[in-house]
Amino acid sequence: MKWISQEVETYLNAKEYVDTAVVPLYSVAIGGEMKESAEAAEFIGLLTTHLERQFTGRILLFPPFTYLKNDSGEKVLGELKNWEVNILEAEFKHVFYITSDIEWRTRENELDGAVIWVPSIPLEQMNDSQKLKMMDSQVKQLLALFTQKWHQKA
Amino acid sequence: MSKERVSRRQFLSYTLTGVGGFMAAGMLMPMVRFAVDPVLKAEAGGDFIATPKKVSELTDEPVRVDFTFKQKDAWYESDVTESAWVYKDGDKIIALSPVCKHLGCTVNWNSDKEHPEQFFCPCHYGRYTKDGTNIPGTPPLHPLDVYPYKEKDGFLYLGKAKPRKEA
Ligand code: FES
Repeated sequence: MKWISQEVETYLNAKEYVDTAVVPLYSVAIGGEMKESAEAAEFIGLLTTHLERQFTGRILLFPPFTYLKNDSGEKVLGELKNWEVNILEAEFKHVFYITSDIEWRTRENELDGAVIWVPSIPLEQMNDSQKLKMMDSQVKQLLALFTQKWHQKA
Repeated sequence: MSKERVSRRQFLSYTLTGVGGFMAAGMLMPMVRFAVDPVLKAEAGGDFIATPKKVSELTDEPVRVDFTFKQKDAWYESDVTESAWVYKDGDKIIALSPVCKHLGCTVNWNSDKEHPEQFFCPCHYGRYTKDGTNIPGTPPLHPLDVYPYKEKDGFLYLGKAKPRKEA
């Protein structure tokens, strides 16, 4: 379910089935690496939209957690932890963070949720059907990962 | 998602209630799906939309067929992609919507090892037989929607998926 009022309402009526929160993590660079930063956000945005389509009935796709690239890691982690606390309090059993910012790999241990790191693929050169194909194969891999986590902590 | 009509009176009351009312009207906006290949775009064919699938390629094994069309609302014209699971049953073609009737996940064909030859929903383990009938004891309460179809110049055209009458 998406972060729009109508679907959040569906969520509220079907909470017991929607046990998984998905939070995209966007690093925003202002200045030098602006373009890479936008590219990554675009990629993760497309990927999570596609993912949401596959798992509509079991996940709630949150608006992206956005932070400045040059903010201190500690501060960013602290803020995300705060999101996590709130999300877990709201009866979600699983939290997935989806990002292409490599920094999160080292921070994963400090979080309860799972960090899924996906290297960003530049979409610029692709036509739309190539994009769709690529997203499909990415989502297939995520499907395996999600199913596995769901099994572990059923 | 279904579009709801706003009657004149409702619309007036939305307008008169100002910002709050406007937000309520906003909830009725249809969602925007993301864009795909313009090449696969629908040619005019009534309400039927061209798919890239040749009818002659279909077998009795369900395959996923994606197709794209334009959807318009007051703000955007956007490309919407939908999928169907399509196979042949004798000389009939069956095209099923992949949207699970429980809470809307996408179902896959033959992806659960314990229950081969069925449609399987990974979200809450909903299952359907090949013809789209929901299997009792799994969460979905209705069979998968069915697309009406047409064949034109050898290609498969699909209409708007409709709920099937309960058996
Ligand atoms: S959404 Fe398919 S079983 Fe729940």
